[in-house]
Amino acid sequence: MIRFEKVTKTYPGPGRPALDNVSIDIEKGEFVFLVGASGSGKSTALRLVLRESRPTSGRVHVAGKEVNRLAGWKVPRLRRQIGTVFQDFRLLSNKTVSENVAFALQVIGRPKDEIRDVVPRTLELVGLQDKGDRLPDELSGGEQQRVAIARAFVNRPMILIADEPTGNLDPTTSAGIMNLLDRINATGTTVLMATHDNSVVDQMQKRVIELDHGRVTRDEATGSYGSEVV
Amino acid sequence: MQLRHSFTELRQGLRRNVSMHIAVVLTLFVSLTLVGFGALLNQQAAAAADQWGSELQITVYLCRDGDDNPSCDAEVTEPQKQAVQDVVEDSPEVDTWYLESKEEAFEKVKDLYGDERFEGPDAALTADDMAESIWITLEDPNEYQGITSQVVGLPGVAGVQDLREVVGPILSTIDRIKIASWAIAGFLVLAALLLVANTIRLAALARRKEIGIMRLVGASTLYIALPFLMEALVTAFLGVALAAGALAALVKYGIIDDLSSELEFIPWIGWPEYGVAVAVIGILGPVLTVLPTLLLTRKYIKV
Repeated sequence: MIRFEKVTKTYPGPGRPALDNVSIDIEKGEFVFLVGASGSGKSTALRLVLRESRPTSGRVHVAGKEVNRLAGWKVPRLRRQIGTVFQDFRLLSNKTVSENVAFALQVIGRPKDEIRDVVPRTLELVGLQDKGDRLPDELSGGEQQRVAIARAFVNRPMILIADEPTGNLDPTTSAGIMNLLDRINATGTTVLMATHDNSVVDQMQKRVIELDHGRVTRDEATGSYGSEVV
Repeated sequence: MQLRHSFTELRQGLRRNVSMHIAVVLTLFVSLTLVGFGALLNQQAAAAADQWGSELQITVYLCRDGDDNPSCDAEVTEPQKQAVQDVVEDSPEVDTWYLESKEEAFEKVKDLYGDERFEGPDAALTADDMAESIWITLEDPNEYQGITSQVVGLPGVAGVQDLREVVGPILSTIDRIKIASWAIAGFLVLAALLLVANTIRLAALARRKEIGIMRLVGASTLYIALPFLMEALVTAFLGVALAAGALAALVKYGIIDDLSSELEFIPWIGWPEYGVAVAVIGILGPVLTVLPTLLLTRKYIKV
């Protein structure tokens, strides 16, 4: 589903590459943690999957397509197969919860009937069926992140990318979010989550890929965050 | 593609940035009016040149008896007249020509001022007082210097009358006004372009979160850019409409109602020429707003 083949990414300026000859293979339906210190290359890896940037050398395959060779006009189509969740939720504060979720479908031209049908069901999945009319500011952090996950998942993407989704949340709320991501993974969606949060990694017992200064230093099928992090 | 969102965005965008849009519309209005004014002047000059140029005739007046013109000492003689006609006939600049007799000239005067003053024993003038003349139609209205210089100074020639000397300054004045209005329009067009660029930058900034989400969930570039393009078209439409209105007022009240009735000897432009000017600004206006929008949306909302 996601494959990195000897991927190197160098940003302009001095310093070592953000990713250095990285090869990763993630199968369909896997749940994978991408761990490592700040600057280890996690975000760069996610940006390459989303085709927000291109590798300096090597190849990135996502959902059967070599994304670095994808023509610019085909990129939106690729992104419709990938849901994305961020640490800072990125909700539109002037739209209600329902509207935020519906927005993702509206802007890719889905018919009204489908939107009216799918949005409430997705809100139910994330446990916010009663809060569709609220504005994001009226919700707790955990609830806002659930809205963001609903928005990422409403289009039933093949891949869900989560960049520090629990970074702003307390442990109890984080556990709820992880539970939700696990359920989404159970529907067959591949989940790739970058995180600093050792407790969630240890608790989930999923595959862990660790990056250090742009290199893969560990790839365990059911790993923990690692001993080096206190 | 659902356009509902785009129209909602368009409405919001226009409201959010209303002062900027007004600035763009006003700048476009003034610059397009000047461009259109230049286009009208261009056509006015062409119409005037066509009229006077195509009918341009040089008239060579021959000497008559008792002529007070210094180059004449007596009535032109037959050989002198023949010599002048030979020169005219041989000149490559001359298309056609004819000799106007004293009687014909006298008829013209009578037509202009009425018969009664020129009849009977107390007539103000008689045919004998008139000069014979040669009326030349030029091959090319712009080439008249050769024949003029050849004829002037020939024995029996009193003088050459050339309408060009009257018309020339008028045409060159029109030309100068046209160039000036286009030069001012040029600066204003530049200002309009910068304003449009600024408006898009502000709008992209105001909507950057939304645009970021749209890109992430896979909205097409066109879909993201559409509200910007529609804003550009709306401002262009308003600018063009205001300019077209101003030019219409100029043509109606300035030219058709006023100048063309007061100065009838000039062939004035009218509604067909106005149509051409509106077509010019109708194309230029949208180009001025849509082109920078396309370029800048590529930059600010790059996928």
